[in-house]
Amino acid sequence: MGSLTALGALLLILMIIVGGKQGISSFLSMVINFGILFFSIVLIAFHLPPIVVTIVASVILLSITIFWSSASDNASTTAFQASVMILIILIVIIIPIEYWARVGGFGLEDSEELEGLSMYVGISFTKLAISTAILSSLGAIAEASIAIASGLDEITIQHPKISSSQLFLDGIVIGKQIIGTAVNTLFFGFFGSSMGLFIWFYGLNYSFGDIINDKVFAAELIAIIISLIGVVLTIPGTTLMMSHRLKKIQDKEKSESGK
Amino acid sequence: MWTMAFKLKSRMTWIQVLIVVIFCLVAVFLTAHDDSLYTEPIFQVTKVTNGKVTKMSDEFHNVDYYHQQLLSGHITNGKYAGKHLKIQNAYSNSGAMDHQYRTNQKLFIVLHTSPKLHATVKDLKRDTPIIFLLALAVSLLFIILKFRGVTVISSIVINTILFWLAVKIDHHNNGAAVIPIFSILAVIFCIITLFLVMGWNRKMLVTLSAVISATAITILLTLLVFGVTHEKGMYYESMQYVTQLPKPLFLAEVLIGVLGAVMDEATDIVASLATLKQERPELSKLQVFNSGRQIGKSIMGPLINVLFFIFMAETLPMTLLYLKNGNTWKYSFSMNMSLGMTSSLISGIGIVLTVILSSLFAGLLIKGDER
Repeated sequence: MGSLTALGALLLILMIIVGGKQGISSFLSMVINFGILFFSIVLIAFHLPPIVVTIVASVILLSITIFWSSASDNASTTAFQASVMILIILIVIIIPIEYWARVGGFGLEDSEELEGLSMYVGISFTKLAISTAILSSLGAIAEASIAIASGLDEITIQHPKISSSQLFLDGIVIGKQIIGTAVNTLFFGFFGSSMGLFIWFYGLNYSFGDIINDKVFAAELIAIIISLIGVVLTIPGTTLMMSHRLKKIQDKEKSESGK
Repeated sequence: MWTMAFKLKSRMTWIQVLIVVIFCLVAVFLTAHDDSLYTEPIFQVTKVTNGKVTKMSDEFHNVDYYHQQLLSGHITNGKYAGKHLKIQNAYSNSGAMDHQYRTNQKLFIVLHTSPKLHATVKDLKRDTPIIFLLALAVSLLFIILKFRGVTVISSIVINTILFWLAVKIDHHNNGAAVIPIFSILAVIFCIITLFLVMGWNRKMLVTLSAVISATAITILLTLLVFGVTHEKGMYYESMQYVTQLPKPLFLAEVLIGVLGAVMDEATDIVASLATLKQERPELSKLQVFNSGRQIGKSIMGPLINVLFFIFMAETLPMTLLYLKNGNTWKYSFSMNMSLGMTSSLISGIGIVLTVILSSLFAGLLIKGDER
C-alpha cells in the first residue's frame, strides 16, 4: 500500500469516527473535487478554453463543497448563491490583474524542473494563472459562506420575525468573528505551501525588490490575496443574500395572511 | 430620524469608497515612480515593432507561434538614466518562460557594455500590480472589519516577520534542524494568533493545548504511516524549490500549512462549547464533548477543502505541461499533484483530530462560570 492510500484510509476512518455518515460525505466531496480538478486539467490539455473550463468547474466544485456539507437547506442555498456571486466578482478582479502582472508560466526558479520539457505547448499560461488563482480561492469562499449562512440561518429560526435590515447587521457581526480566523487559515496555508520558495529566496540573497517582482512569488501572493478578498467580500455577500431571501419569505407570508 | 441615520450611513460609504480609490491610486503612483530605489537598470518601453512570426511544433504535435519584437525606449534609473535603447525580444503564444511586452510597461534589463551599450530583457517590473492588489485587500479589510481589521492585519504582519526569522535561522543551520525550528515557530504562531483572537484566558489556553496536541499527533501519525508504508509513492524529488533535504522540509511545510485551519476550527469549537456550558452549566463532560463533535463534524469538511484547493490549484500549470509533453495521467499526477494530495490528506487528519481534542479538552477543562 502506498503512503497516499494509507493516509487516505486513515483520514476516512477518523472522519467516520467523528462524523459518521457526514464524515463519509465530507471525504467523498474531497475525492470528487479532486476528480473534477484533474478532469478540468485534462480538458484544458485538449485545448478547451482554460477560463471557461475553470468557471464551469468552479461552480460545480462550489456546489459539491457546499451542498455536501451538513448545513441546512436554507443555509446551503444561500451560501451557494453568495459564493457564486463572489466568484464572479473575483473573476472580474483577477483577469485584469493577471494581465497586468503577467505572472503566468514559470520563473527562473523552476528551470531545473523544466529541463527536457517542451515549453511551447500552444496554451496560454497567463490564462492558466487566472485558472489557478480562481481555483485556489474556492475552498476559502465556500467555507466562509457556509459559516456565515449557517449562523444567520440559526438566527432566523430563533427569531422568524427579525427584520431584514437587523439580520444584515447581525450578519456583519457574525462575519467579523469568522473572518479573523479564516484569514489565518489562508495565510498559514500560504506560508506552508511556499516555505521552500522563501528558503530559496533567503539562501540566494534575494532583496525585497527581487522578491516582490519575482514571478513565482507574485503568482502565489496574488492567489492568496484574491482568496483573502473573496473571504472578506463573503461577509456582505452572504448577509445580503440571506436578508434578501428572508424579505421574500416574509413578504410572501404577509400577502398570504392578507388574503 | 431613521432616514437621517441611513443617509449618514450611505454618505459614509461614499467617503469610504473614495478613500479606497485614493489609497489604491497613491499606491499605484508611488510604485510606478520608484525606479530609483532599484539597483538593477529599468527600461521603459515606448514603442514596439513587431517582427516575423514562426510557426513551430514539437515532437508531441504541440503547435505554437514564436514572435520577434523590437522594443524601443529609455532607461529610467541609475548611471544610464535617460539613455535610449532598442532591445530584441521574442515570445511564444503560450508564454511559459517568455512574455510579449507592450508599450508603457517597465522591464528589468541586463546591460552589456561591450562592444557597445546594448541590453537583454530580464523580467517585467511587477511591484505596481502587486502593491495595488495589497492596497485593495487592506482597505477592504478595514471597511468591512473596522477595528478588528487592525488585529487581523497585525497578526499577519507579526506572523510574516516571525516566519522570515525562522527561515533565516533554518538557513544558518543549513536546514539540519528544520523540523525543530518550525515546530517552535508553530507554537509561537499559535500563542500570538490565539492571543490576538481570544485574549489571554482559560478558553485561549484550552484552545492552545488542543491545537498543539492535535498538530503534534498528526505529525507523529504521518511519520508512523510513512514508516509502515516505507514512504512508497512519495515523490520527494518532485518537490519544488528545494535547497535542502526534502523530507523534513515537506513535513515542516505541512505542519505550518495546517496550523491556521486547526486554530480556526479549535477557536470555533471551544468558543461555542464555552457559551453552551455557561448557558447550561448542568451539562456533563460527555455531553459537552458530544456537542463539540456535532459542531466539528459540520465544519471539518469545508475546512479540509480550503487547504485542498490551496495545495492542489498551484500544481495546475506544471501538471498541464507534463500532460502536453506526452506523459501519462498517472505519471503527471505522481510527479506534480501527489505531494499536494498528501499534504491535503495530512491536513485533513489534523483537522479531524482537532475536533476530537478540542471537544475533549473543552469538556474536561471549561467550567460553567467561564466566560
